[in-house]
Amino acid sequence: METFGLKIIASDRVFYEGRCLSLVIPAPDGEKGILPRHENMVIAIDVGIARMELKEGEWTEVAVGTGFAEVVNNRVTLLVDTAERPEEIDIRRAQEQRERAEEQMRQKQSIQEYYHTQASLARAMNRLRLAQDKKWNL
Amino acid sequence: MANIREIQSRINSVKDTMKITNAMYMISSSKMTQAKKKLADTEPYFYGLQGEISRILRHLPELKHRFFDQREKIPKEERKIGSIVITADKGLAGAYNHNIVKVEEEILAKPGVHKLFVVGELGRHYFSKRGVEIDTNFRYTVQKPTMHRARDISGAIVDQYLDGELDEVYVVYTRMENSVQADAEVMKLLPLERADFNVMKMPLNMYREEIDLYPSAEHVMDRIVPNYVNGMIYGALVEAYASEHNARMMAMKSATDSAESLIKELSIVYNRARQAAITQEITEVCAGARAQQRK
Repeated sequence: METFGLKIIASDRVFYEGRCLSLVIPAPDGEKGILPRHENMVIAIDVGIARMELKEGEWTEVAVGTGFAEVVNNRVTLLVDTAERPEEIDIRRAQEQRERAEEQMRQKQSIQEYYHTQASLARAMNRLRLAQDKKWNL
Repeated sequence: MANIREIQSRINSVKDTMKITNAMYMISSSKMTQAKKKLADTEPYFYGLQGEISRILRHLPELKHRFFDQREKIPKEERKIGSIVITADKGLAGAYNHNIVKVEEEILAKPGVHKLFVVGELGRHYFSKRGVEIDTNFRYTVQKPTMHRARDISGAIVDQYLDGELDEVYVVYTRMENSVQADAEVMKLLPLERADFNVMKMPLNMYREEIDLYPSAEHVMDRIVPNYVNGMIYGALVEAYASEHNARMMAMKSATDSAESLIKELSIVYNRARQAAITQEITEVCAGARAQQRK
């Protein structure tokens, strides 16, 4: 099967580099799939779960933060601020993060602080979703 | 010549100080290695963002975006200029803090309404005495720079910029050229300038691949630019942290060296004094013995 080059760069490391069969990423208006020989494009990415098919039928899920994907000449580069595999996520920490954000949401905040907490809550919930889905699948 | 006991206590006190400076030297050198590793880890992300902005600018030369708005209509005297000044939390680092303060003073001398965002305790002390406007909510330490802190800082800065509370934003930090050379430097953060992303000039007849921006160019730019600013601030924080420890390392090394040479000198003086005391004692004993013989 045809493949394309995929490189996922998070802000603190290069998360993945290699070939990939197909990729699904969370765009602002829903998921978007990328297959080999995709048209050249730059796509904004929201906090969510990306899936990549590295071997046929084998999907790997990744929790990603905001960023963007660049598709040029059958090469895809994902630049996101965080990227984590389900097994890397510390459920307890994510839960604490969610509780902290919820706590802050209830208090009076400036608009900037509100957006900040909202983003933090979105990241926490995204982590939890991926980590817990994984737990049920076992 | 000083008394033997005095010299002895002086030597001991220098030795104690040397223990401290030597320990600080080792701590700083390990912290610097960590900081350098951190910087290397985040480099691909940062260069990726920079490359992407330059690519988008190349494809959409007519793109108007609020982060590129130079706000030329505002006269020089009324421009609100914000500076993020990164100093250390404490001294004992040679001229490190002094250089940063000097560069910031140069910025303050220029026309405009200045506002400071100071990272680091030492700079905060200095500028609060000097009577410049300092953002008081802006309390961050320089120890162990993290992405989270950079995100907090850039969030606050980008917000004030978009609200029109700031027209220009600079970062004053120390950049490490190599392990011996570090320079205090000013970096312009916002508004972004096209020239910074060396847009390639391409011949007209060349085929250029077309790139679709999804959902829209604005959307994509909105994702990239805050992250880019974030990356720049993180880079500056880490670099400043590394240079701080490099400066401290060098200061502590020379302190240890001069303590060593001081001890060497003092021990010579001490040995001489001891020898003199012994000689005198012998002379006294001999003189006493001779006096006894004569009797």
